Amino acid sequence: MLGTLPGTRRVEQIMGMPIVLDVRDEHVGDDVVQGVFDWFRWVDSTFSTYKDDSEISRLNRGILALRDAHPDVVEVLDRCERLCVETDGYFDVHAASADELDPSGLVKGWAVDRAAALLDAAGLRNYAVNAAGDMRLRGRAVPELHWRVGIQHPLEPDRVARVLDTTDLAVATSGEYARGAHVLDPHTHRPPSGILSVTITGPDLATADAYATAAFAMGAGRATHWTARLHGYEAMTILADGSVLSTPGFGS
Amino acid sequence: MRKHITAAASAIAIALPAANAVAAATRSTAATVTPKKKVVTVTKTVKGTQIQAQEWGYIEVTLVVKKTTTTVGTKTTVARKITSVSVPIYPNHTNRSVFINQQALPMLEHEALAAQFTGGINMISGASDSSDAFIQSLQAALLAGKRA
Repeated sequence: MLGTLPGTRRVEQIMGMPIVLDVRDEHVGDDVVQGVFDWFRWVDSTFSTYKDDSEISRLNRGILALRDAHPDVVEVLDRCERLCVETDGYFDVHAASADELDPSGLVKGWAVDRAAALLDAAGLRNYAVNAAGDMRLRGRAVPELHWRVGIQHPLEPDRVARVLDTTDLAVATSGEYARGAHVLDPHTHRPPSGILSVTITGPDLATADAYATAAFAMGAGRATHWTARLHGYEAMTILADGSVLSTPGFGS
Repeated sequence: MRKHITAAASAIAIALPAANAVAAATRSTAATVTPKKKVVTVTKTVKGTQIQAQEWGYIEVTLVVKKTTTTVGTKTTVARKITSVSVPIYPNHTNRSVFINQQALPMLEHEALAAQFTGGINMISGASDSSDAFIQSLQAALLAGKRA
């Protein structure tokens, strides 16, 4: 049934999450698709905190010096530091443990951004790359339609809270409903309160994802004010009282 | 879906120059007088002068004033109504002013949480991580996208 759509679709479980590549251009080389998934596997082997021989694990054990790490590792950790400052410490690679780095919160979005660059370089203009609900979109789903992205309803798993009709955008959602309390406010080490999810849209997924994580960790009191002042990124915050607060450019 | 605008209001600066601006408004032109009953409506935008709002910096209030002149024979009544008030210059010259404006200016659209079905959707953004439900919903969305 999907065979009648142009392009190709593929899902693989990498980095502990389903990664979906959905290309809608007519002609897609198998080598391009393979290259994208090879890239994600390299990211996993380099950045995973679950693999003892990853560079992040070796940095954490003190058997790899930062100056000897791969330039991509240095770049990711540098961006994590800058985002930590930009988010008043709410996006923090040390959120789970003071002694260990965990840049996973940036790695996923960053890896998807780089995958999108691989697709761009291959001449593809209509695609979606979705890593566990955070995605980069380009072009159109079919020539006459934009991509239609549902924002997961935080309380009803088979529904969506909003539908974005969009193109050329990164979309990231951080929330509490999937795995229980896995996001902590790094200042209080407690789960945030009064907030169900934050969705951020903008040009870059790594940034959007970090902003979503930070805003969610802030909790209901602070998140909406903070997201209202972002530059180049729009936000939709769903609060526990059932209200939805969106910046004026969200979804437009 | 009903929407309304929520803004954290900072009313600190608005009250001060209003008297000045109203004074400017009263200088608007009179309507033409004719023998029979006649209603003339003139809408004017008037600015107050820039006023130093204590230590917060300069502000300037703009009013839109609707003036209705009703003439019956030799009797003329004039009614003026302010239809909008805005503050086009915000105090920004002190850190405190900048702080207040940053708190006040962000506008957010406010609506109630809705639940929609996933028909016609290509992708779902959510914090679903590795759950089977995510993969199932995604596949359903892909199929729905195909049908759309």
